[in-house]
Amino acid sequence: MFRSWRKTTAAVAAFVACVWSFQAHAGDAVAADPEVVEKNRKANEACFACHSEFGFKNPPRTDMDMKKLAETLYDPKVFAGSNHGTMDCRQCHGQGYNDYPHSETGKSETSPCSECHATKVARLEPQYDASVHARLESVKAKFTCATCHDPHIDLGATLLKDPLKIAVQDNKACLECHDSDEVFAKYAADDDKTPGIKKKRPNIDTIHEWLPNTKRHWQTVRCVECHTPEVKANRPLSHEILDKEKAEKNCLSCHSANSSLKTRLYRHLVKDEQDRLGFTNSIILSSSYVIGATRHPLLDKIVIGLVALTLGGVLLHGAIRIVFAIRRKGKKQ
Amino acid sequence: MSDRIYLLPLWIRLWHWTNALLIITLAVTGISLHFADPKLPLVEFALAARIHDIAGLALVALYVLFVIANIVTGNWWQYVPKPPGVLERCVKQGRWYMVGIFKGEPHPYRVSEEANFNAMQAIAYWVIMYVVMPVMLITGLLFLYPEFAPDRFFGFDGLLPVAILHYLTGAVIIMFMIAHIYLGTTGKTATSMFKTMFTGWYEQH
Repeated sequence: MFRSWRKTTAAVAAFVACVWSFQAHAGDAVAADPEVVEKNRKANEACFACHSEFGFKNPPRTDMDMKKLAETLYDPKVFAGSNHGTMDCRQCHGQGYNDYPHSETGKSETSPCSECHATKVARLEPQYDASVHARLESVKAKFTCATCHDPHIDLGATLLKDPLKIAVQDNKACLECHDSDEVFAKYAADDDKTPGIKKKRPNIDTIHEWLPNTKRHWQTVRCVECHTPEVKANRPLSHEILDKEKAEKNCLSCHSANSSLKTRLYRHLVKDEQDRLGFTNSIILSSSYVIGATRHPLLDKIVIGLVALTLGGVLLHGAIRIVFAIRRKGKKQ
Repeated sequence: MSDRIYLLPLWIRLWHWTNALLIITLAVTGISLHFADPKLPLVEFALAARIHDIAGLALVALYVLFVIANIVTGNWWQYVPKPPGVLERCVKQGRWYMVGIFKGEPHPYRVSEEANFNAMQAIAYWVIMYVVMPVMLITGLLFLYPEFAPDRFFGFDGLLPVAILHYLTGAVIIMFMIAHIYLGTTGKTATSMFKTMFTGWYEQH
């Protein structure tokens, strides 16, 4: 009886938090009900008692599968600051996790993202299906939203705000596989040339050798700035991940006055663009100086004017010299 | 017998032309990067960035060699305008550029092994080589190693002042280069001073 009541309460509280979360993401200024949030956090303490570094080092029970537990450790503070941080763990992880040992079917009962994000999933699925990760069925089958977007950690761009933090967060998702042979092998398909042997991970530095200041790029922009197709202004980033053949290689796409960064990494900030102190794309300049994109048109005009004056001045001086030299020659004759 | 003196040792001439080549390369690639635009196809962006980085580092190395060679050979003394009467000599030189040159008057100051430059040249070269160039090179290095640049600058990325100083000093050097090349035609003949920069021999007026 008590257990049933507890389950129902948890589900209701989680649903409220989920609805709030959805509203907040939709731009609605609805604040989370502090009571519900507090209730969920208290409920989550029971999960973090095991599923955290502290829990792992100080297991509350002796009969736990520590190997499995090691793969599911989260930082309660990081979770609390994430998109889903106000929710009860059991909203997604279902009732099979109320007790320990967890239910055999617990994992398969975990709610899919589409349960809350149905519209988003419907919009993004065709894009994802065209993506390099969905090209082979064997690889596609291993991918879920959570493969790239860790629901225990990630925070949406509009909430994270700082483009440099967004770049770190989102690139981590790509590099977790593409910078680790071990993780890459878990998802890799067989090599086209050698069936039965898994495709080897290409070295991330080698394949990006053509890109000047590679490391700087990885600190300041996301892999997906180049590895997703161009989208119209005010449209969210595409989930079609492009391979190296299709990825953007035209530097001017970002490094020009009409920088595509405005529709990508800085999309959520563009509404605040005010050309501060006369700088074009000052909103980008607030985080990064992007040569070609973050210019000062007035300063450029002054500099071009001064160079033109210098050039014009010497040409005029030279022309007058020639005229006077011809006149002097004429007088001598 | 022609009135000529051996003015420029081999190291100065080698430095000068290497410097010229690097500056022109950096100017063209720098313009391609700063004014990057699909409608202004100078040098392709990624290629321009690579060339600019390499040529920039080469210029830093060359500049260090230039400073060392100037100290070792004592050539640095040529860049010091010697008092008294520096201002008067500048005015006289300026008047010649603005008036005397058109009338075919001779250069107001004779070039000698002791004084390669007139007072105006010495000041201009000193400012360019010992003020503008170091600022351009240091800001260029900061661009390459942004971890040493300030983190923030009045609410902007800390690279902004570095970028502006690099841009402005680069522009000053381009303007200097235009004037410098033109003034190279004011020797005994329009080409005699260019020949001096290759042979080391200076033709007196």
